[in-house]
Amino acid sequence: MAKIGVRTSDLLALSAVVLGLIWPIGCEAALPVGFGSPALRLGFFVTGSLTAILFTLWWVRKFHRGRIAERHYLTSLCEMDPHEIWHDEGGTLLPPPSIGGPWSQVLEQVHQAFRDHGRQIQNLEQARSALEIRCRRATSEAAQIKGILSSLPEPILVADSYDELVMVNSSAEQLFQFDMQNVETRAAKSIIHCQKLVDLLLGTARHKSTERRNEDIEIADMEGHSHWYRATAARLSGENKATDERAESCGAVVVLRNIGEHKAVQKRNAEFVSSVSHEMKTPLAGIKAYVELLADGDAEDENTREEFLAVINGQADRLQRLVENLLNLARIEAGVVNVSKEPRSLNEILDEALSIVQPSAEAKSIALINDLSPMYLSVLIDRDMLLQAAINLLSNAIKYTPPGGSVTLRSRMEEGQVRFDVQDTGVGLSGDDCNRVFEKFYRVERNKEMAPGTGLGLPLAKHIVEDVHGGRLTVESTLGQGSTFSVELKI
Amino acid sequence: MPQRILLCDDDIYILRAAEFKFQHAGYIVDTAGDGLEALEAIEKALPDLIITDCQMPRLDGLGLVQRLRDNPATADIPVLMLTAKGFELKHDELARTWNVLAVVAKPFSPRELLKRVNAILRMEDIEVNREKSLNL
Repeated sequence: MAKIGVRTSDLLALSAVVLGLIWPIGCEAALPVGFGSPALRLGFFVTGSLTAILFTLWWVRKFHRGRIAERHYLTSLCEMDPHEIWHDEGGTLLPPPSIGGPWSQVLEQVHQAFRDHGRQIQNLEQARSALEIRCRRATSEAAQIKGILSSLPEPILVADSYDELVMVNSSAEQLFQFDMQNVETRAAKSIIHCQKLVDLLLGTARHKSTERRNEDIEIADMEGHSHWYRATAARLSGENKATDERAESCGAVVVLRNIGEHKAVQKRNAEFVSSVSHEMKTPLAGIKAYVELLADGDAEDENTREEFLAVINGQADRLQRLVENLLNLARIEAGVVNVSKEPRSLNEILDEALSIVQPSAEAKSIALINDLSPMYLSVLIDRDMLLQAAINLLSNAIKYTPPGGSVTLRSRMEEGQVRFDVQDTGVGLSGDDCNRVFEKFYRVERNKEMAPGTGLGLPLAKHIVEDVHGGRLTVESTLGQGSTFSVELKI
Repeated sequence: MPQRILLCDDDIYILRAAEFKFQHAGYIVDTAGDGLEALEAIEKALPDLIITDCQMPRLDGLGLVQRLRDNPATADIPVLMLTAKGFELKHDELARTWNVLAVVAKPFSPRELLKRVNAILRMEDIEVNREKSLNL
């Protein structure tokens, strides 16, 4: 309970009153009998009494003013909005009553209590504002994250520790054909129609380790076409605890990355290695077989021995051409090829190419028609490279022309350019194949069994003609009737 | 009477080398450039053993073996397969499903191939002789 404070001024006033009252009596008593005149005694009495009266009046007035101030303070307090007082940290709006009344100390304590409460409320309001800002920021961040997730082409799925999906992006909705807003159940296993992915997602949520888990998963779309995805799953452990293995799991997130192209490249590489090894083994098989026949003395006459040696030589050349094709393609692609261009006769080079492929044309009973221009066609070229391109085009034509067909090599001057065509009566190409036939390692599926190959000859020819010589290599073809590969070179 | 071998390969040089080796060893040798040519040759004369390449135009080695096994007249002819293919050829499956006696990888030794063929045909002879003696 608050005590009523007694000020020094009040004590002084009280003392003055007491002194005023007792002064005349004291003086009266102190004077010896018969000492002093009655006038002096009256003087003492009057002075003391007046002092006491004055002090009493002064004190009463002061007390009264204090009461008025206190009443005024209480009235103001009642009329004021409590919020204003709480927020009036400096106490300027309603200063504590300075004129001492009997309750002024209590009022000061009330005032102090108001200010304390004010401060506490202010702190709470600051905390509320900070929380509101954080809440708004979190909402905005969540919307931002959702926006980012939706814009990502990779399907993303988030499951909680109750095996239910809590967040998915539109790519995931498209892949698994569902709408998160309208699903009957959010159970992951009911929505995701790929058991392997469900196992990975839910397994990761229960996993103790926080390490990411990767798995290549084949997922069939609604039309039954399967696609390869690399699924990366990570456990969710609440805020700032992603790497803490002891933190309790609150679900898992899985991101699916389409690796169809990667798988296709892997397949093409494997096919390429297989094709190259097949291409290398075939001439090697010939060399080994004939060398052994010679070593075993099976070739008894000189003619047979010469025939065998010629075969070995031819097979070695074939092997060398294959290796050169591979190396040239690698060099051109790596940009480390040494090109030495000189003015040369195109017909001379094409004649040489014809003589090189002649044996393989004869072996297949294919007529190799020389329709080279009688004009001297001079071009600035790298002889070895252009010879390689011409051989590749001719070999390709011979490979895909059935026995009895023909391959024509034609050269001419046309519109300020030198042009040569390799025209065959072979199996021909579809429109799609025409677009893809210059892709590295691409081989026309239906023609694969017709002849072995690496899918390198035509891409290499295109590199040589276009990248090295700045020319153009194009193809026109009719399926079942034949193809024409045309090379245009600047003079 | 000399035994007959059918060689089937689209590489004329391989065909020529194997033909030369087997003819020298006393076999009658027929040759074919692909699976369809091999079937035509079999119609003319039934071989005692067939050696075929795997990758060939028109009809490949596996297609040829399947056709042979579907025909009761050729179902039991021993077949050896030559191949320059690598890992994608499943040897076990070829042996189990199509009764391919052996898959010989290219480059191969004609000498070793001849030894293998001799062994197979000798075993066949022993079997035939054993059946004959049991029948008697």
